[in-house]
Amino acid sequence: MKCAEAIEPPTTMKCVETIEMEKPAAPPTNQIRLPMGLLGFEQIKDYVLLANPAEEPFAWLQVESNVSLAFVVIDPFIAMPNYQPEIPQPDVDFLGLKQPDDALLLNIVTVQGPRRATVNLKGPIVINRRTHIGKQVIIANAFDYSVQHPLPVNQAGA
Amino acid sequence: MLILSRKSGESIVIDGRIHVKIVRVEGEVVKVGIEAPADVPVHRQEVYEEIQHSNQEALTRQSLPLPKLNGKNGAKKPDAPLPPAKPRLS
Repeated sequence: MKCAEAIEPPTTMKCVETIEMEKPAAPPTNQIRLPMGLLGFEQIKDYVLLANPAEEPFAWLQVESNVSLAFVVIDPFIAMPNYQPEIPQPDVDFLGLKQPDDALLLNIVTVQGPRRATVNLKGPIVINRRTHIGKQVIIANAFDYSVQHPLPVNQAGA
Repeated sequence: MLILSRKSGESIVIDGRIHVKIVRVEGEVVKVGIEAPADVPVHRQEVYEEIQHSNQEALTRQSLPLPKLNGKNGAKKPDAPLPPAKPRLS
């Protein structure tokens, strides 16, 4: 985003502040910001969501500042069609979610090899589709789900 | 570690902005109420550590080949598609 394209700023305002003001309205790419990071990675807040059709239903949540670091993520409803996560109200408020469709859920996958992968159903990453701001939420019914739910991997091989 | 004695209904204030209240004591179970600003995450320690450990295991340092999922469960649900390569969040 170039400064010249920004809404005409008051003369005292610097270019960088104009960019900040535009950001919440229409995030330009598939950048995701997790202001609290992920549990255990609280200091890493900026990510890029990447998906390769050949790798569906998986996608990658890549660390923006270090492209060699990434998490594999999946739409949890593919892993478990009757998944019913309860998002605690403080998290709904923090993310500014007005209705269920505002939320994109991505759950982190641990790939243990071509034959075994598990998904964390206790702590989904909940993202507001409008603002691209997300948070790894511990769901209120976490005791009903596993942090290592096995995915139905095709044993015939990758 | 600072150790304070509190009765049911009494509170502790941390940093002037986090309030921890002993709501009820029932045998071995203590109900604790916590009021904290939205930017202060509050979690049960054992669940926090379980997810933290899972995240650390899941972090990959290079692009690794991903497994294929079985047909039935692996099939995409039409009403809950994964975000494709092009941004679809907006």
